[in-house]
Amino acid sequence: MTATQVAVPARRGHTPGRLIAAEIMKIRTTNTWWLLTLGIVLFTALALTVNGFGHHFELYPPLDQVGEANRQDAVTQAAIAHSAAGLRGIAADMLTSGQFFGCLLAMLIGILVITNEYFHQTATATFMTNPHRTAVIMAKLVAAATFGALFWVVSTIMNVVTTPIYLHTQHVDVSLTQWPVVRSVLLNLLAFVMWAVFGLGLGTLIRSQIGSVVTGMVVYLIGLAAVTIIFHLIYNAYPHSWVLAAQVISPAVASQVMINPGRAFDHAPPQWVGLLVMIGYTVVFGGLGVWLTRRRDIS
Amino acid sequence: MSDGRIVVDGLTKVYKTVRAVDGLSFVVEGGRVTGFLGPNGAGKTTTLRMLLNLVTPTAGTATIDGVRYADLHDPIRHVGGILEASAAHRGRTGRNHLRIICRAAGIPMSRADEVLELVGLTPAADRKFKGYSLGMRQRLGIAAALIGEPRVLVLDEPANGLDPEGIRWMRDLLKAYAGDGRTVLVSSHLLSEMEILADDLVIIAAGQLVTQGSVAEVVDSIATTGRTTVRTPDPAKLTAALGEGAHVTAGANGDLVVTGMDAATIGDAALAAGVAVHQLVTERPDLEEVFLELTKGKAAIR
Repeated sequence: MTATQVAVPARRGHTPGRLIAAEIMKIRTTNTWWLLTLGIVLFTALALTVNGFGHHFELYPPLDQVGEANRQDAVTQAAIAHSAAGLRGIAADMLTSGQFFGCLLAMLIGILVITNEYFHQTATATFMTNPHRTAVIMAKLVAAATFGALFWVVSTIMNVVTTPIYLHTQHVDVSLTQWPVVRSVLLNLLAFVMWAVFGLGLGTLIRSQIGSVVTGMVVYLIGLAAVTIIFHLIYNAYPHSWVLAAQVISPAVASQVMINPGRAFDHAPPQWVGLLVMIGYTVVFGGLGVWLTRRRDIS
Repeated sequence: MSDGRIVVDGLTKVYKTVRAVDGLSFVVEGGRVTGFLGPNGAGKTTTLRMLLNLVTPTAGTATIDGVRYADLHDPIRHVGGILEASAAHRGRTGRNHLRIICRAAGIPMSRADEVLELVGLTPAADRKFKGYSLGMRQRLGIAAALIGEPRVLVLDEPANGLDPEGIRWMRDLLKAYAGDGRTVLVSSHLLSEMEILADDLVIIAAGQLVTQGSVAEVVDSIATTGRTTVRTPDPAKLTAALGEGAHVTAGANGDLVVTGMDAATIGDAALAAGVAVHQLVTERPDLEEVFLELTKGKAAIR
């Protein structure tokens, strides 16, 4: 092969490392990453505020405003909230604040990592530089997952700083280092990463940038509500608890179930079921992305 | 082997209803600029994309130095390609666009600055791509193709969007490249440009090879259909002397325009008949006429 004519110094680094570095550089050299990071900061702040007020009223229901009939219920709820399990749940919820929109933004970066190549017609240059498409998609997957993880870091730093202060103001004492709480925070990382990969798979499936962003949003936002409504309708006609548990097949529901140390909703399946469903979606969509990119023409 | 030879052999691409490229075979040699010509929709771009492993052929092969593009190690060190004028992220600077390619190919980032200098884009290096004119975008594309110091350059309509000065600059660049013994394959529908730039021509129409050879060979191949203008004081006698084989019409200034017979035969006939000939001019067809002749009726929309 030709070696004599090349004045350029010998190749540096191994291929996967080079490709991942190039993909991360692609994200870093546009506005996208900091706009999305700004979104993470804003949504986490919003979520902390909403969750903070929510848990305050859970711990200290305004009994004088609750009707006579509901007073006993409210007292019971407050007692549950003050129990070890209740406080654990509150701590985990506060420490994973911002997950809902954070994962949405992680999905967006996954979508953009691939659809930008088609939208800006850079796929040609990318696949000419490295014609091994599986390697390129895997590099994109790592880059998207890395930014998903970075979003989690930003969100979690805000939560870790705020939550102890908040819990102190609520006069409750709960260890933030107990395993169920830490596990939720770590599973939250997994959720961010998986949504980023899910987005990448979606982007390869629907190469139109607008098409995949809209589809992703619909699956994420409307899908959650639609699934809840549909499964409750089925449950009304066919009242078995597993019908409600089956909502976990929706990716948005699965990631909620996954990070919630208690039950995300009535009859929700255990955390590991949510985790398995998320892994399933990640593998299916990631694999689909690789497969489609390998066989499609770039034109 | 590293002569940068491109061999296209039986290359075929069938889309749902059309055979975009149909059993195409040709060879491109190193050290020469080869013009890849054809009417719009002839399959030029599809062929180049198959050569660069962007489109999968239905049948046939395209190799560079005997190796498929996908099997080249670090292909951009062997082959530089320019396929789209506007091929960079709008919000990214030209320098970063090139640096990303360097990074992916394991080439030092400083090479980005070198090629920017080479194409004259250094002053705009840190401007975002969306602010680039069409000509600047084309130059950035050429810079990207040169990053790996490739032995082979493949360009799809590179003159699009360039001003006359830009076209001249690119022509000099490509000629210098071929002069170094490298291979330059450049597609175009601009015949006049190819006449100045190319050494060899590959002409396709409707996905099939029409002709291939040096520019002179291709022009000569239909030169027999050329016309000869004859000035003589006795047109009637000469017309009679030429006989059946020639088709003679009246030209301007009383000249005769002869087709179907070459100049030597006309001269011999005049001498034999004792007719004086004051001027005998063969009008060689230019490339454009040859091209139109060769691709006649094949440019229909398919």
